[in-house]
Amino acid sequence: MRNLTWLVLLAAAPFLMGGCSTMAVAPVAAIAVKGATQAHQAARPISDSEEYYIGRAVAARILTKYKLEQNPELTMYVNEVGDAVARKSTRSNPFRGYHFAVLNTDEINAFACPGGIIFVTRGLIKTCKNEDQLAAVLAHEVSHVAHRDGINSISKARWTKVFTAMGKEAVSVYGGTTAASLVSLFEGSIDDVFQTIVVNGYSRQAEFAADAAAVKDLRRAGYDPTALVVVLNTMEAKGKGKTSGIFKTHPPTCERLSKAKALSCEAPPTKGEALRTQRFKEIVG
Amino acid sequence: MRKRAHFFPSVPYLLALGLALLLLMPGTGWGEVLKVVQPNQALYPDPDFSDTPLATVPPGAEVNVVNQAGDWYKVQYQEKTGWINRQAFGRPQAARPKFNLPSLLFGTPVKQTSSDEVALAGKGFTPEVENSYRAQHPEMNFALVDRIETYKVAPARLQTFIKRGDLKP
Repeated sequence: MRNLTWLVLLAAAPFLMGGCSTMAVAPVAAIAVKGATQAHQAARPISDSEEYYIGRAVAARILTKYKLEQNPELTMYVNEVGDAVARKSTRSNPFRGYHFAVLNTDEINAFACPGGIIFVTRGLIKTCKNEDQLAAVLAHEVSHVAHRDGINSISKARWTKVFTAMGKEAVSVYGGTTAASLVSLFEGSIDDVFQTIVVNGYSRQAEFAADAAAVKDLRRAGYDPTALVVVLNTMEAKGKGKTSGIFKTHPPTCERLSKAKALSCEAPPTKGEALRTQRFKEIVG
Repeated sequence: MRKRAHFFPSVPYLLALGLALLLLMPGTGWGEVLKVVQPNQALYPDPDFSDTPLATVPPGAEVNVVNQAGDWYKVQYQEKTGWINRQAFGRPQAARPKFNLPSLLFGTPVKQTSSDEVALAGKGFTPEVENSYRAQHPEMNFALVDRIETYKVAPARLQTFIKRGDLKP
């Protein structure tokens, strides 16, 4: 018993030593804390707040390419539909929430910025025939945010450099001046994400996973889960021969269509679709 | 005499036991008052974002913590009891202990200077980094992004939208 007692005291010794850091051993303790923190930082993924700031910058960059739709009624409606599906997502409340915005272009496209800002073009909204189809489009984009597909496109090499920069005291933020290296890495990260979501597109695997999650979220929200199949059918017809915009950044629609059909074919018919279609037409036209 | 000799060895044992209990106590200061610092936060009936919120909790609101489960805190707010996610408090991880063991033992707070310094550097992409980036890229319209972030459907309005559309609550 006596040996056990001293063993317990010995085990508690490091905790007691921690309390001494203000005294004679302070510099040693500080170095140990710093080393441990840096090691921890090097192992951590991108945080929700970092994702949020990258997403804001990606959104700002997208807005240099497209104009923001100013119709408040349409914007509110898109946010209502978006929130109705986002609340059923596996990531229903990112760092500062989801925000849906309409881009004033006839191009058929949608972009999910990391962190929760989602753009949908007026062209894609007009491709939808009812609210359930619009919900399907937004559910697909919400799934990209939920799966962190945008933020995962930042190259591992770049994120490793961010850790290195974070480990150097020279890059500490003091008096409003930030080290150029961290800003440069921030810009590089924005480039990585922009290239993926606007220019090259996500991987096929990411697209299929987003479709699958969208079907689930539609069903959980009470929307028609087959609406995604209908939208993909429409896009398939419109996209024949086109190699730009969404048709360039997404896998062949027929391939997605067959997978989405397999997921949603057993869905029961949903109620209230006529009501939703009516309000969709009142706002979208 | 033999009896006394038997009594004294139990003192370190009791000390060790007490210390072990202190170290094993839950990290959350139950009964602790936390201040909400993030916008768009809500009180949920269960620790699940997909539930219908009981109430919205604005930045600056103070809540009483009654329990904790992972990233969720069971709190009391305006005579309602519900769950709120840790992100509301801007906490990067689970709540810190209500008391600080070293300061409890030695009566003085642990010096934080060096770890604060590391924390600043370790935050990575922060508002300060964004500000520097914005200064270098005036062509980026962050004002529009700020406006987009004001697009928010009030919980009551969303519930009406869901009900009228015959969607699932």
